[in-house]
Amino acid sequence: MTSPALALTVSENPQDSRGPVDGVRTYARLSILVTISIITLILATLIIQSGPAILSTSDSLLTTQWKPSEGIYGILPMIFGSLFVMTIAMAIALPIGGFAAITVSRIKSPRIKRLWRSALEILAGIPSIVYGLIGVAYVSIWVASAFDLQSGRIILSAAIILSVMILPTFLSLCEDAISSVPAAYRENAQALGLQDYEVELYVILPAAAPGIASAALLALGRALGETMAVMLVIGSLDRIPSPLFNPLSSGQTITSKLGREIGESAFGSMHFSVLVLMSLILVALTISLTVISQRLFRQGRRG
Amino acid sequence: MSRTVKNALFWGASKLALILCAAVLGFLLLSILWQGGRAISFDFVLSPALDFGTSGGIVFQILGSLLLVVTAAIMVLPIAVGTAIYRHCYMPRARDKTRLDTVLYALNAIPSISYGIFGLIFFVNILGTGLSWFVGSLILAMMMLPTLTLASHATMGSLPKSYQENAAALGMSQGEIIRHVILPQSSGGIVTGLMISLARAIGETAPIMFIATAFSGVTLPQSLVEPVASLPTHILALAQQSTNPQALQNAWGASLVLVSFVAAFSALAFFTRQKFSHLGHR
Repeated sequence: MTSPALALTVSENPQDSRGPVDGVRTYARLSILVTISIITLILATLIIQSGPAILSTSDSLLTTQWKPSEGIYGILPMIFGSLFVMTIAMAIALPIGGFAAITVSRIKSPRIKRLWRSALEILAGIPSIVYGLIGVAYVSIWVASAFDLQSGRIILSAAIILSVMILPTFLSLCEDAISSVPAAYRENAQALGLQDYEVELYVILPAAAPGIASAALLALGRALGETMAVMLVIGSLDRIPSPLFNPLSSGQTITSKLGREIGESAFGSMHFSVLVLMSLILVALTISLTVISQRLFRQGRRG
Repeated sequence: MSRTVKNALFWGASKLALILCAAVLGFLLLSILWQGGRAISFDFVLSPALDFGTSGGIVFQILGSLLLVVTAAIMVLPIAVGTAIYRHCYMPRARDKTRLDTVLYALNAIPSISYGIFGLIFFVNILGTGLSWFVGSLILAMMMLPTLTLASHATMGSLPKSYQENAAALGMSQGEIIRHVILPQSSGGIVTGLMISLARAIGETAPIMFIATAFSGVTLPQSLVEPVASLPTHILALAQQSTNPQALQNAWGASLVLVSFVAAFSALAFFTRQKFSHLGHR
C-alpha cells in the first residue's frame, strides 16, 4: 500500500487522467536519459580527472621518459607502442582476412557458409584473457625460439596475438561487404572476358570498398583498445624501442600501461592524472574510429 | 607475367589465407580443449582455490563470475528495453535516431579498460564504495547496454507494421500497444540480445579488475559492497605466474570453464533466435 503522501502526489498529477500512456512514456524517457547520462558521465569523469595533467606547466608530457619517482611523465613511448603494435597487427590481419573473405564469398553451399560463420563467431567469442594465456603459453615461447631471444615478451608477440583477435571480426564484416555486391557486377565483368582475379580486384573490391574500410576501422579500434592479451605478452618496458621500428624489443601500449599501473597510482596524484589522460586519448581515438566506420558502413549500404 | 599465372597466384593466395584462418581456429579450440581438459575435474570445479590458485579449484570464481553478470543483466535489462522503446515509438525524427545510434556506438567503442578506470574514479574513489561486487556489475551493465539496446530495437523494428496498426485501430493507446503488442512480440529478440551480451560480459577482465574482484581468500560476498572472485581475473593472476606449471595448468582449466560459459550463453542466444524466428517476419 502506498503512503498517503505518495497517493496524494499521484492523484494530483495532471497527467494521470490521460491513462497508462504516460507511464510507459515516462519509463522510456527515463531510460534514454540514463543511457545518455552514462556516456556523458564517463567522458566528463575522464576529462575532469585528466585536467591536472593537461594543465600542468611541466613539459615532460611529450617526452620519452617515464619516471614517476622524479615527476617525469612522458607518454610518447606508450603512444608509439600502441600505434606500432596496431600497425603490425593490421599488416598481418588485413591481407589474410581480405584474401580469406574473397574465398569465403565464393563458397556456394549455404551450409558450409553457415558452418564457417559460426566458427568465426566462436573465435570472436573467446575472451581476451584466454588469448592472453595462449600468448603466454605458446606464442611468446615460439617467437623467442624462432628469433633466438631470451624472452618472447616483445612487441611482435603482442602484435601476432592481436592480429588473431581482430581477424574474425574483420573477416566476417569484409565477407558481408563483398557478398552484398550485386551479382550482376560479377556476371557483367565475366561476360567481358575478365579473368577471375581481375573480376575480384577491379570490380568486386572497389564496389565493396566502403564496407571493407568500415570493417578495417572497426578492427583498428578493437586493436587499440585491447588490454589483457597485450598486457600479458608485450613485456611492459616504458621505452621507445631502439632502433625505432624494432618489433623484437619489449614495449608498452597505452592499454598495457593502464592495466599495469592504474591500480598502483594514488588517486588525485599527477601520476594518476597522466594515466587518465592516456585513457582519454584512447577513448577519443576509438570513438572517432567507430563513428567514421559507421558512416562508411551506411555509405556502403546505400551505394 | 601472363594473366593465367596471375590468376593462379591470386587464387593460391586466397586459398592459403583461408587455410591459415582455419588452422588458427583449429589450433585455438584444440589447445583450449586439450590443455583445459587435462586440468579439469569434478574436484577442480567444485572446490575452493588454495595456495594462490596453484592448487585447489575454482568454485568461488565460477559463482562470483555468474553473480557479477547475472546482477549486471538485471540492472541493464529495463534501461536497454526502455531506450529501445523510446527510439522505436517516441522518436519520429530520423536525425534524433541517428544521434542516439551514435551514442550507442560510442558506448560500444569505449575500450573495456577505460570502463574500469571510470569505475575506479567515480565509484571506488569519489563515491567511496571500495572494491565491490555491486560496482563491478554496474560497470558490466553499462558495457552491455549498447548491444542489448541495439538488439532490442532491431527486433522491434522488424515487427510487421500491421500489428501496431491493427492494435491502434482497435482503439488501444500507444502505451497499451507497447505493453500488449510490441513487448510480447519482441521478447524473443530481447532475450537473444541479452544472451549475446552475457556471453561478452562474462569474459571481461579489464573493467572489473580494479573495482570488483580480489584475488585470494575471497568466498561468496555476504553483501553488495564486498569483493568477489571471478574467472577472468583468476586466469590473469595465474597467467602472470606462468613459469609455475601448476599455476599454468589451473589457468587452462579455468579458461576452459570460462569458454564453456561463453559457449553456453551463445548457444542459448542461438536457440532463442531459432525459436522466435517465426515471429516478426517482415
